[in-house]
Amino acid sequence: MKIMESKKIQEKAYLEKLKNGLTIVIIPKQTTRKKYVIWGTHFGSIDNHFRMPGSGEEVFIPDGVAHFLEHKMFEQPNGTNSLDTLMALGVDANAYTTNDHTAYLFECTDHFEEALAELMDYVQHPYFTDENVEKEKGIIGQEIRMYDDDPGWQLYMNAMDCLYENNPIKIDIAGTVESISKIDKDVLYKCYQTFYHPSNMMMVLCGDFDPEKTLKMIESHLIEQPKQEEIQRFYPPKDEKIHKKEKVVSLEVSTPIFMIGILDPEEKENDSVKKHMAIEIALNILLGKSSPLYQKLYEEGNLSAQPDFDYEFSEQYAHILIASQSKNPRKVYEDFRHEVKKLQKNGITEEDFERCKKKLYGNYVTEYNNIDSIARMFLADWMKGNNSFEYIEGYDQITKEYVEEILKNKFQEDKMIISIVENTNENK
Amino acid sequence: MLDKKNIIKEGITFHQIETNKFKTNLFALFLAIPLEKDEVTKRALIPAVLRRGSKNYPTQELMSKTLEEMYGASFDCGIDKNGENQIIKFYIEGINEKFLPEKEKINEKCFDMLLEIVFQPKMEEGHFDPAYVESEKANLKNIISSKIDNKRKYALDRCIEEMYQDDAFGIYKYGYLEDVDPITTDDLTKAYQTLLQKAKIDIFVSGDQIGDLFEHIQNHPLIQNLEARKPEFRINQVIRKEKVSFSIKPKKVVEETMQVNQGNLIIGLDLGIEKEEEKEVANVYNAILGGGANSKLFQNVREKASLAYTAGSNYTKQKAVIFIRSGIEIQNYDQAVTIILKQIEDLKNGAFTEEDVENAKELLKASLRGIPEEQDSELTYYYGQELSGKETSLEEYLQKVELVTKQQVEDLAQRVCTNTIYFLRNEGNEGKEAKA
Repeated sequence: MKIMESKKIQEKAYLEKLKNGLTIVIIPKQTTRKKYVIWGTHFGSIDNHFRMPGSGEEVFIPDGVAHFLEHKMFEQPNGTNSLDTLMALGVDANAYTTNDHTAYLFECTDHFEEALAELMDYVQHPYFTDENVEKEKGIIGQEIRMYDDDPGWQLYMNAMDCLYENNPIKIDIAGTVESISKIDKDVLYKCYQTFYHPSNMMMVLCGDFDPEKTLKMIESHLIEQPKQEEIQRFYPPKDEKIHKKEKVVSLEVSTPIFMIGILDPEEKENDSVKKHMAIEIALNILLGKSSPLYQKLYEEGNLSAQPDFDYEFSEQYAHILIASQSKNPRKVYEDFRHEVKKLQKNGITEEDFERCKKKLYGNYVTEYNNIDSIARMFLADWMKGNNSFEYIEGYDQITKEYVEEILKNKFQEDKMIISIVENTNENK
Repeated sequence: MLDKKNIIKEGITFHQIETNKFKTNLFALFLAIPLEKDEVTKRALIPAVLRRGSKNYPTQELMSKTLEEMYGASFDCGIDKNGENQIIKFYIEGINEKFLPEKEKINEKCFDMLLEIVFQPKMEEGHFDPAYVESEKANLKNIISSKIDNKRKYALDRCIEEMYQDDAFGIYKYGYLEDVDPITTDDLTKAYQTLLQKAKIDIFVSGDQIGDLFEHIQNHPLIQNLEARKPEFRINQVIRKEKVSFSIKPKKVVEETMQVNQGNLIIGLDLGIEKEEEKEVANVYNAILGGGANSKLFQNVREKASLAYTAGSNYTKQKAVIFIRSGIEIQNYDQAVTIILKQIEDLKNGAFTEEDVENAKELLKASLRGIPEEQDSELTYYYGQELSGKETSLEEYLQKVELVTKQQVEDLAQRVCTNTIYFLRNEGNEGKEAKA
C-alpha cells in the first residue's frame, strides 16, 4: 500500500487502488477503540444526465434519484433491513447524499467484522420492488417537508438559484414531492448499475485498524465484476455569470438570515487546495471575528456572531458563501462589498495575514480530533481530486501576495449575489 | 476513574481528564445554580457580557486577536439546563502543544484567558460596561425570539414548558423576553457577584500530557480571590414519592399554529421510577421504544406506516421523562398518535422480545463506549456525574446496563403515564375539510 504522511499532525494514510478500480484509504489511529468505515460513490444530485457504460443508453433522471437510491439500498430480499441488522449489533450506521457523492457508513467499537460484511453485502446487492419504492415516497416526502421548514436550507437553495442559471447544483438533493413521484425501480437499477461500480467508488476507514489485514478483509467481501469504462456525464455549460443578483423570501423566522454568494467561474485548477486556503484567509481578514468590519457591524447590532464561511467547489461549480443572521442584511452586504474594495486597493497587513494563517492551522488540526470527521473529510476531498493532508502540509506555503491576488480575482462585485430569508410577520 | 478530582475550596472543584485521543486540549469552567424564574434571564445575559471584554482584554477585537495568535484557540460560552439547574458554561479549546508548528507554551495561556474572562470582567466604577450590557440585551432578545426558527426544537421546548408549568425544569434556559428590557447595569453586576458567591464551580481540563495544572489553578490569584461556598445547586431526585400509574390518555393536549409545512408532534411520558437501578431500566425501555432504527417507533411510524422521516424518543434521566418526537403530514395527526400510543400499550403488555432488550442494550453500550471518543462528551459525562452527586465510571455504567432484564422493563412499562401531547401545525384545515 502507498503511504501518505503528515508529519505535522503525526498521522499516516495507507492508499490502495484495487484491480477492479476501487480506491481504499486506511488511516490507522492507535489511540482509539472505535472504527469508522465510509463507502462512497461518485454519484450525487448533480449527476442527472449520463450515458450508461455498458449499453450506451443515454439517461435523464428525475430530481432526487441519488438520494432515493441511498434510502433504498438498506432493504434486503429476505425482508430484513441492513440498518436494523447493524443497529442490533450496537453499530451506529447511516448514509447520506450530497451534490457530488453518496456515502454509506458505520462506526463501532465491537462487531467490526460482522458490520463490514453487512455493509459490503448490502451496498453490493440492491433490491428494489414496486412496493418498496412506493413505500419510501411517504418517508422521503416528510424529509422534504422537514427541509421546507428549515430556513437555513431554503436560504442555501435560493443562493444557488441566484448564482447559477443552469447548473444542477440548484436542484434540491432530495428532489421535490412531485419529482420523486416519478421514480420507479427501473431508474434506480439503471443508476445503480452505472454508478455503483467499484471503479467509481472509494472506501475510507479510520480508527483502530491494521491496514494490511483490513485490506485483505475488504477484498474478501468484494464480489467480482466486469471492468467498466468511464461513465460519460453530461452537464450544462459552466455558468460564466450569475443568474440573479438577489432572492428574498419570507418565512417565520425571528431575525432575517442572509447568505452572500460569490461565483468563481474559473475551471478547477490543480492547486485548488491552495486557492481554498487563501480564500479562507481572505474571508477571515475581511469579516472574521477579529476584523474591524466585524467589530463595527457587531457594535451597530447588525451582526451577533461571526458569519459562517465556505468555499464549495468541484469540476462543475465553485463559489464562496458567507452566511449569518442580521436585522439588516443589506447593510452587511453593502459594508462587505465596500471592505472588499478597500482591501483590494490597500492590500492586507503582514500582521493580519500571519494571525489568520495561524488560526487556519489550528482549525485544520482540530479537524483531526474525531475519526468520523477524518474519514468524511478524506472522502469528500478525494471526490474533488484532492488529498486532505495537502491542507495541513501546504498551509505555510501560502503567501500574503497570493492572498492579495485571490482577493482581487475571486471577490469581484459582478459575481456577487445575496439570498435573504425575511420574517413573514414583519411584512404583514 | 479517568477524572482526577481535586477540591480547591468547598464548592470549587478541579478535574483533570488525561486522554491521548485528541489533537486539542479542552479547558472548561462551569457555574451551576438552581433555575429561578426571576433570575434566569439575568444569568443568561452574564456570559454574553463577560465575553465582550475583560480587564486585560477590554474589547472583543483584542480578545479574538489574542486567541487567534494562539493558533486559533477558540473561546465559547453558553447556557444549559441540567434538571432544575441552570448551567453557565465557558470553554477554551487549544491545540495540543505537540502539534504546533513551532514550540510554544499555550496551555497556561489558555487557562489564564478562561479565568480572566470569567472572573475579571471589564468594570467601570464597580459595574459592567453599560454599553456592553445594552448591546448584549439586544442580542439576548434575539436569542430568545429565535426559539421559533428551528421548528423541531421549538416544538420540544414548548412541550417541556407546557408539561412543567410549575416546575423549575419548565423554565426556558435563556429566560424571557419581557424580563430583558428592565435589566439595569447595576442589577446585572449584582447578579454576577451573587452568582460567583453561590454557584457550584467546576473547572475541567482534558488532554494529553498536560502536566500538573492543578497547582497553577490553585495558586492563581483569580481563584484565590473566590470564597468557599456551600453551593445551592439541586441534586435531581427522580425516585418518585407518589405512585405513577399507567395511562395512555394524556393529561394535557396542546395544539399551536405557525407557518409550517410539516406538523411536529411531541409526546411527553412520565416514568414512575421507584428504585435507583430503574434509571438504567428506563434507558433500555426508551431504546426499545424509540432509540434507533430497530425501535418500535421507527419501525411502526416510519417503516410500516410511511408516516414520517423522523420518529424516535429521548430519555431525560434527571427528570425521569421520555419525549417522543415525530415530524408528520398535518392531516395524519390522528393516525400517528394512535400508532405511537399503541407502542406504549404494547410495551406494557409485554409485546416485545428478549432480542429487543438485547438490541437496546447493545445500542446503549455502544453509545457509552463512544463517550471517551469525543472530548466534550467525555467532559460532559464527568460533569453529569459531579452534578448527580455520584461517581459512576463508564465501566460501572456499562455493567448496570448489562444487568437490566426484560422483566424489569416490563415492570417499568406498567408505570408509564402519557402526560402531554403537543402538536405544532399550520393554520390550514387539512384533514378536517377535504379540498377540491
